[in-house]
Amino acid sequence: MSSEYERPERDDDDAMACGYTSYDSDDDVEYAEKESADNEVPATGRGAEGVERRVWEALYRVEDPEMPISIVDLGLIYGVDVDDGTATVDMTLTYTGCPARDMLLNEVKQSVAAVDGVETAEITLVWSPGWTVEMVTEQGKESLREFGLSV
Amino acid sequence: MRNRDPSVDTSGKYDQAECPYCGSTDTERDHPKGPSLCRSMHYCNECEQPFERFS
Repeated sequence: MSSEYERPERDDDDAMACGYTSYDSDDDVEYAEKESADNEVPATGRGAEGVERRVWEALYRVEDPEMPISIVDLGLIYGVDVDDGTATVDMTLTYTGCPARDMLLNEVKQSVAAVDGVETAEITLVWSPGWTVEMVTEQGKESLREFGLSV
Repeated sequence: MRNRDPSVDTSGKYDQAECPYCGSTDTERDHPKGPSLCRSMHYCNECEQPFERFS
């Protein structure tokens, strides 16, 4: 290591991660997998009430990591079911090799788990029917065009 | 002669995508691959803007 030049000083060499914050990694997000969706997809949460409605509200606030569009408008959510405090979200991804898989599943799980009235959030990844651009909602297409994407 | 980049020989080169900004179809595809696997690069001759297409 050359000492010809000065490097920026480190604030504190002994700095440690905050002991009061739990840091969880996306790598160990737990989710189930299912062969195919059991209802018409994608789901949009129209007419949902109570806790289920709040779960949808949380899902609408989750955005795709690459584009300014809600994952619900993108058509990734295949179904939501809330039963006695357990919320189950069936969802897919735009393609099987999606590098954002763990990150997105974890974000969905955390958002849903934080909903008032939900004690446990369970995520099920569904690959059939496969996602297509036709699954994007009208509002979603509008967001994509604004972003400079032809759909 | 070296092999050419296969991605520039894909079909759909002359499909004219609709420009997301002005709606014109007077557009060209610059490259079949964009910043992610499902997007291609295009250019609009009408409003002279580059854009991408989801496909």
